[in-house]
Amino acid sequence: MLGYPEFFAKKYFEENIDEIIIQDVVASLYKRNQLSSFTNKISKNVFVPITVGGGIRNVNDIREILVNGADRVSINTAAVNDKNFIKESVKLFGSSTIAITIETLKIGEKYKVYTDSGRTETNINAFDWIKELQEIGVGEIILTSINNEGTGKGFDLNLYEKASSVCKISLLAHGGAKNPEDVYKLFTNTDVEGAIIASAFHFNYYKELLAKKEISLQGSTNFLIDKNYKNIFFCGVKDLKKYLKVKRINIR
Amino acid sequence: MMKKPLAGIINISLNNILSIKRALEYVGFDVIVINEQRNVEKFDLIVLPGVGAYHEAMKKLRETKLILSIEQALEKNINFLGICLGMQLLFEESEEFGLTKGIGFFDGKVENFKKYKVERQTFIGWNRVKFETKKILIREKSVENDLMNTTFYFIHSFFVSCKDKVIESGTSTNGKLNFTSVVKKDKVLAFQFHPEKSGKNGLILLKYLVKNL
Repeated sequence: MLGYPEFFAKKYFEENIDEIIIQDVVASLYKRNQLSSFTNKISKNVFVPITVGGGIRNVNDIREILVNGADRVSINTAAVNDKNFIKESVKLFGSSTIAITIETLKIGEKYKVYTDSGRTETNINAFDWIKELQEIGVGEIILTSINNEGTGKGFDLNLYEKASSVCKISLLAHGGAKNPEDVYKLFTNTDVEGAIIASAFHFNYYKELLAKKEISLQGSTNFLIDKNYKNIFFCGVKDLKKYLKVKRINIR
Repeated sequence: MMKKPLAGIINISLNNILSIKRALEYVGFDVIVINEQRNVEKFDLIVLPGVGAYHEAMKKLRETKLILSIEQALEKNINFLGICLGMQLLFEESEEFGLTKGIGFFDGKVENFKKYKVERQTFIGWNRVKFETKKILIREKSVENDLMNTTFYFIHSFFVSCKDKVIESGTSTNGKLNFTSVVKKDKVLAFQFHPEKSGKNGLILLKYLVKNL
């Protein structure tokens, strides 16, 4: 939690990001829903696609977020709890508007699906869930590795290789990216459509924000103030794109 | 202060029209969202955006009588911009869920990617556009270069099969299939992609529209 979401969104747009994903990670847990006003503000200066998720429970939630500037919504907990809700949403808003987030934890050799931002275990296997969601007609899968997220260990290539072999729709990988090489490895070893990066980008531009002006801190950022960067990783959007282009990865 | 040109957005969908509104404001328009039939003679630009199903959109246009405002704009030669489904609606018909009759301003029909050798049946993402820049009145070399060397944001499972090659002003590919992604006839311009979601170059395209009014 760093605060300043509008700063980051604008910055990413200026740096030529392909898409922005906004997640309220504890929305389902606290049963809250404040994303629409948030989306409205963030989308002001952003002219690339925006996906918004967190605590979406019914079609009114979806409508509310779409009219406030999102192009797509992402749903996790409510999809696991009520498949009919997803069927209805696909019919109403179109496949391409509905993305499903899958949060998976690797236990032994199995990938289990979790809800409520990794707090609630289910008995669902991640790959079975992907197949089922495809049949329902959702447009995109966002697959998060709970094991790797926030660690900078790189993407779980085994997970994305397996997932992309069963997934015929758009698949995005999330969790663990530390540097451009991790993204390169993801694209050369698996068939995913895109990589999602949070911390590495955020930390990179947060440094800039800190250097530029006096700001009041909104989040837990002492680790940055103290310049205690040891376990933190930085990556800029432009640098990443340059790296991938040199390596002949076909990106925008 | 010079008066800003006025754009009207025809609102038929449940989905995101805020982005197109903001993009038009960004490039210098005042914007009014049009939810029901009204006289559109005073507008400098009418925009027909749209995400969703063809038959639902046509049904809604008839129910709200917004179709009459569109027809008036086309008859009175008002600058008109169609985006994505909005472009498809301007053609004669679509084969989505059987045949649905469209507005019929452009000659040609809307077809499903499924029937062809395409890479992706539903295309969500960035794709190149081969513009015929002369047809859409882009004369500056630098702008032409910017537009030719970039990609635009597409999201569609249907595409336009344009009968009239004279009005075809840009093409894109999906696998081996070449399809129309830009058309222009008289004062009516339409894109299959979303300029309001295509980053800086999408905004450059929209800016050009303002200039060429």
